[in-house]
Amino acid sequence: MDIDLLTEKLSLQVQSFQESFEMLSNSFSISAMALAFEKIIRGNFVTTQTSIYYRFSETSEWESLVSKNDYDFAKISKFDFPVGTKILSDQDSNELVIITKLNDNSALAIILGSRLSGEKYSDIDKVTLQIFVQLFDNASQSFLLRKNEKQLIFSLNNKVAQLNNLIDTGIEISKISIGDELLELVLFRAITLTNASFGRIQQFDENKLVDEIVFPPNIVPGENKVVSQIGYSFNNANYRLELYNKESRSGIIRFDETDELLINAIIKQVESAIENKKLHKEALENEVMKSELAVASEIQKRILPDVLPQIKGYDLAGINIPSKEVSGDYYNVYTLKDGRYAHVVADVTGKGMPASLLVSTLDASLQSYLDMQTPLSEIALKLNSIVFNASTSDRFITFFIAILNPDTGEMEIVNAGHNPALILKNDNSIYKINAGGIAFGMFDMGLPFDVEKLTLQRGERLFIFSDGIPEAMDKDENEYSDERLEKFFTINNELSSNDFINLIIEDVKSHANGEPQSDDITAIYLIRNYK
Amino acid sequence: MRLDFNLTSNIENNVLVIKTEGYINNDGGEKISKEFEEHFTKGINKVLIDIKSSKVINSIGISYLIEIIEKLNEKNGSLYFCNMDSTIEKTFNIMGLFQFAKKVDSVNEIE
Repeated sequence: MDIDLLTEKLSLQVQSFQESFEMLSNSFSISAMALAFEKIIRGNFVTTQTSIYYRFSETSEWESLVSKNDYDFAKISKFDFPVGTKILSDQDSNELVIITKLNDNSALAIILGSRLSGEKYSDIDKVTLQIFVQLFDNASQSFLLRKNEKQLIFSLNNKVAQLNNLIDTGIEISKISIGDELLELVLFRAITLTNASFGRIQQFDENKLVDEIVFPPNIVPGENKVVSQIGYSFNNANYRLELYNKESRSGIIRFDETDELLINAIIKQVESAIENKKLHKEALENEVMKSELAVASEIQKRILPDVLPQIKGYDLAGINIPSKEVSGDYYNVYTLKDGRYAHVVADVTGKGMPASLLVSTLDASLQSYLDMQTPLSEIALKLNSIVFNASTSDRFITFFIAILNPDTGEMEIVNAGHNPALILKNDNSIYKINAGGIAFGMFDMGLPFDVEKLTLQRGERLFIFSDGIPEAMDKDENEYSDERLEKFFTINNELSSNDFINLIIEDVKSHANGEPQSDDITAIYLIRNYK
Repeated sequence: MRLDFNLTSNIENNVLVIKTEGYINNDGGEKISKEFEEHFTKGINKVLIDIKSSKVINSIGISYLIEIIEKLNEKNGSLYFCNMDSTIEKTFNIMGLFQFAKKVDSVNEIE
């Protein structure tokens, strides 16, 4: 062959190789690559027909990529998976067969039909075909690399999207209250993040199904074939999330560890949101309660006396120690227009705003009736009626009042369900004042209150107190007791009123031995001096 | 299996307009891809997908859309989206779809 002609032929061949590689490399799939390859081969060898077959791996079967007859497929099926490259020429049919193992351990087989010119395939043709097959192999490697690169980029972008989705989900969950809207959001996001085909969230009340949200909405989980599933219970098993059939481009696959992590993250966000909302609600309620207590405390401060009146010929002291912020106890000593003094100790069931308002009502009403010099028995009846109408059935007031004429020591007393007040007689004996009736607010049937009249002699002492003293408890819940109180009252018969109050408080605290004060402590101590 | 995806399509100003309804997952993606191929092989190279009625899409559905973009790029065509839910738009952005696809308000914006 002429050198120039050979050079030109080789040059054209190289150009053809380059163009072929470019064409193959731009293919989107092995099938598309095979179609392009068939055109290249037929263009170069001018054959009657070309068949191309592919084996993904040694364990898979041959599959036809380009073939127009079953005869070729039957021929290729007889060949084992190739180790290297094998070229076979059939002199009778004038066919050329090449079977080769590709770089990615797949295999390619090509059958070139007879040439249109009828010429037999030369050795140069065999070499040329080998070069083309090498081109296909390189192009397929390039295609696979690009495909892997795309998959990697897609996977990385998908991870970023998942993370972003998770963050957005957390933000959105924190904005909405628990309910169908929140559960729908959780279900949408869980399905999207895990590529589930469908899913549901069920709500239970003591193991009984009360609500169910399904997505997609017209899917019925029980009626659809389930290949894979994943499920989580949350919020103390009040809710259950179930996802079904994780999708992939090659069919339904199992849910994996990443799915578990993603679902766990969403569920933790929901539980955290539920807990935060609960805590927020509690904080608001606490705030309201604190605000109420502050108002109640202010009301009480205005009712309780700053100082007690000085009564000529008497030594008077009083105390109120609330067990909590606002006491349910109340005491005062009023100076009446006629020169007498009304000593009052009361104990309201309950505390806080309602108790304070009730005491405030009692205090205002009492002062009005005292100013109007209403008889004590009537005052008691009216106060009972007022408290009954102003309070709920579970709220009442024990009430003790002793109106003292300081000149004579004469006292008018009503005890409405309160602890008996004590008088320490000059012979050191105790007289208990039980006179009265039921606590205010229990019934309003016009039952009269007994008014007891007695005289506090010179040297005698009156002790009015609330149950916070005898019922003060130690850590074993042993009460201070009436007996100990009476003994203390009897023994400490020389003390001034202030000293007595201070000392009995110390004694009560000593009994409690550091235990929190279980009830309010209130007391009035009155001594009629000898002079 | 009962499915939750439907689409309708029509040609407006030589643009294939596909309106989707429901979850764009494997099933939804396949249906969109099939609808696209049917018109793509006839020479249509501009496609608008209106996803107003699709609030949820998974990555399998997105992979079909990426394939459509690649095929359109080969033929100097373009993919457009309209009426996207904000969550889906953000996901498309992160997944890189807007490097090659465009967001429009309606088919009239497409030249």
